[in-house]
Amino acid sequence: MAKKPKSRVLIVRLVSMAATGFFYTFTRPRTSTPMSMLKYDPIVRRKVLFVEQKRRGGS
Amino acid sequence: MATAAAQKHIQLALGLPQRLRTFLARYPPSSILPEGANPEEFQTAYQKVAPNPFQSTKHPVTGKWHEPKYSLRRQAELVKLARKHNVEELLPFTVKGTEYKLAKRVELGLRVKGTGVGQKVKGHKYERQLGAKMEKRRQAMLDMPELIREWKKVGKRNWTKFPK
Repeated sequence: MAKKPKSRVLIVRLVSMAATGFFYTFTRPRTSTPMSMLKYDPIVRRKVLFVEQKRRGGS
Repeated sequence: MATAAAQKHIQLALGLPQRLRTFLARYPPSSILPEGANPEEFQTAYQKVAPNPFQSTKHPVTGKWHEPKYSLRRQAELVKLARKHNVEELLPFTVKGTEYKLAKRVELGLRVKGTGVGQKVKGHKYERQLGAKMEKRRQAMLDMPELIREWKKVGKRNWTKFPK
């Protein structure tokens, strides 16, 4: 049986750089560059940098 | 011949309830003896058997422990009665006494584990790690403007530092 092809779109997790553990989840095309953006962190109640988390185990 | 002061004390003692009077007659406190008197000479027959009727005693011959002459319930009743008549300090030492209870309360704190003198609780894992976590977060927030400036300079397309 043929291996299941990799999906075209990824679900990625953008974690807060304020070390709160808060994250947003987005989808992006597999081919695009990893995401990072300034977004609101409700735990520190401020706009902080959110950066995409490295994914484990490929896919 | 009793002096006037002694007469007054006797009158006051007669005003006590019968139960307290009986007890104090059997176990008079050594504090009422005159200065320099040897307390052992003035012991009543009851006191010779048990110096403190509120505490268990070890038999000198058999080495067995004997129960207190007064049960804890009767001790508490006597203490309450004595406190009502302001003569609690005339009773022998008892665990039901106010002084002991206050000391115990200080030692135990508010009955909440960990609030007493020299007490500690382990706590939940998140409670033990809370200090370090908040410190890390505080440091991250202090570094945040610098990080954002760097991120803006590098641009999100060329950003390479991704957390695990």
